[in-house]
Amino acid sequence: MKPFNKLVIASFKQFFRDRTALFFTFAFPLLFMIIFGLVFSGDNDISYDVGLVNQDNSIIGTTFSESLQMVPVFKVSEGTLDEMLVELKNGDLRAVIQIPADVQSTINSGKVAEIVVYYDPAQTTSSQVILSALGQIANKANNIITQQPVVLKLSEQSIQVHNLRNIDYLVPGILAMSILFLGLFGALPMVEWREKQVLKRFGATPLRRSTIVFSQVAYRLVLAVIQALIIISVAYFAFNVEVVGSWAVLFGLVILGTLTFVSLGYLAVSRARTTESAMPIIQLIQFPMLFLSGVFFPIDFMPAFMRPVVNALPLTYLGDTFRQVMVEATPLHPMTVNLAVLAGWLVVSIVLAIRFFRWE
Amino acid sequence: MSIPVIEVKNLVKTYGPITAVNNISFSIMQSEVFGMLGPNGAGKTTTVEILEGLRSADSGQVSILGMNVAKASDKIKQKIGIQLQAPSLLPLLKVDEILDTFAGLYQRSLPIDQVLSIVSLEESRHVLVKNLSGGQQQRLSVAMALVNDPELVFLDEPTTGLDPQARRGLWSAIENMKTQGKTVFITTHYMEEAERLCDRVAIIDYGKIIAMGTPGELIKNNFEEKAIQFELEYQAPEAFWMSLPGAIRAATEGNDVVLYSNNIPVTMSAVLRLAEEKNLTGQLRDLRVREATLEDVFLKITGRRIRE
Repeated sequence: MKPFNKLVIASFKQFFRDRTALFFTFAFPLLFMIIFGLVFSGDNDISYDVGLVNQDNSIIGTTFSESLQMVPVFKVSEGTLDEMLVELKNGDLRAVIQIPADVQSTINSGKVAEIVVYYDPAQTTSSQVILSALGQIANKANNIITQQPVVLKLSEQSIQVHNLRNIDYLVPGILAMSILFLGLFGALPMVEWREKQVLKRFGATPLRRSTIVFSQVAYRLVLAVIQALIIISVAYFAFNVEVVGSWAVLFGLVILGTLTFVSLGYLAVSRARTTESAMPIIQLIQFPMLFLSGVFFPIDFMPAFMRPVVNALPLTYLGDTFRQVMVEATPLHPMTVNLAVLAGWLVVSIVLAIRFFRWE
Repeated sequence: MSIPVIEVKNLVKTYGPITAVNNISFSIMQSEVFGMLGPNGAGKTTTVEILEGLRSADSGQVSILGMNVAKASDKIKQKIGIQLQAPSLLPLLKVDEILDTFAGLYQRSLPIDQVLSIVSLEESRHVLVKNLSGGQQQRLSVAMALVNDPELVFLDEPTTGLDPQARRGLWSAIENMKTQGKTVFITTHYMEEAERLCDRVAIIDYGKIIAMGTPGELIKNNFEEKAIQFELEYQAPEAFWMSLPGAIRAATEGNDVVLYSNNIPVTMSAVLRLAEEKNLTGQLRDLRVREATLEDVFLKITGRRIRE
């Protein structure tokens, strides 16, 4: 045990003197969380600027414009049609609603009155939200005017116990990302030691190679736990993200994830001769994984043909399990599937890394 | 009593078409300082690394401290200390931390203070390795070879790149080890170093041992003559110099001339007369008479000088 302990202690001493390593391990994930946290923090009070052109002074026009004002996502400004259309074209407004002067008289004469909506179809998301909201208002107005009884009422029941905010989605993703980084870069010191003949120097002592590897992995695991604690605390205190699941399971996952990515890291650099050549290999694995695993945004946003790739990446499963445990998000896959896939990656990486890792 | 600390028989190591070590044999007794000399690429490092158990031999037997190096590598490593040619250190550890880390890899170790004092690094004990000078790093790598209080120490070119003062410091450290009864195997291409430190030397060239013995023996066996050495801006073939009275052999390199002579006064006056005739007395520099050295032995046997 003595050589193992000495190596772990030596690794920590070096780590805490290495400013770059400190930054990427602790500050970088927090920076990520804070930036994304601020960007997304406005998400819960989305509002759309819409213009209203009310050319009808009758009760119908007034009622319609009042219901419009009461829709929480609309910020309504009034003006003439020409003014409003200019603002729409400039992008200051998302839609312009025109209530023509003859609405009341048209209805009274038993015909269908038209309410005109101008919108920019390029703004896909906002247009859809606005159009469906307006549709609902129009339906309601129809019901009131024709005095039909309400027979069907929609009752909204969220299956999520907690209302998931974007930051809730993001924090487990950042945790998964940090473990990805920590793990993939975990084998880099070994490449450096091989390059600078430190491994050779160790080879001249009774130290076993397995002890070197175990000490490096243990050091990464401790680092991963510290990192996770920091991320979870900052998420809690700064963004009010609470861990709703089991802490034991959460840290079990931190360890499983770290082991998986450390092994993958060893495999990735098993043949690299220098740290300079190892870096791009690691990045080649890291970046696609980062963006294709749904750690920052739901994978529903990705086209269907990407799904097989997404479903092959271990980070997808780690992110998904973290979300399940931390914020009880809806699972992409059942927990057992996630754990099995991660364990599978772990075993395959270890076997291949042992097979291919170059010591000299 | 007299089991050799190192015993090598018919050692061969090839890399593809190159025979790095070509059938060498030697043995080293306890508390001997044994030097292996030769130019770069002669096979010194390969030999040392086989003895250390870092490489395997193609054929031949190597026993270290009475144990077969191929079979008892772990046991041997507990009892030997190794300094590698390039100091391979952990830059973000302090001197005492790296020594403590390495000491922790052995069953037996010396107190760090003692190791530091052997190589005179006490004052740098809290300095980060990356902030040490080249000489200090070199001394640290020697210190790392001593943390387990080894019976046998391997030093591979320990003074390469050191300034004269640091070199002398290391020499006295090595003399210290000898008085403590340690056996030292040292490779070097500094002949002066070998003459000063080594009880016995083996000269190796193209993977073969071409001469072995005490420095004194080697010099005496090869030279009865002494050497006249000088610098003169006068280019002449070696045959010309050998034709001077008393001169037996000559070696030139640029303006440097070494004349080996059995009759120093006769040869010396011939040199002075030549300079006078050619009107070059002002250009005659660095004229001295010296005993032959290991450098001369190497030159005589191989026809080449050892170069860094």
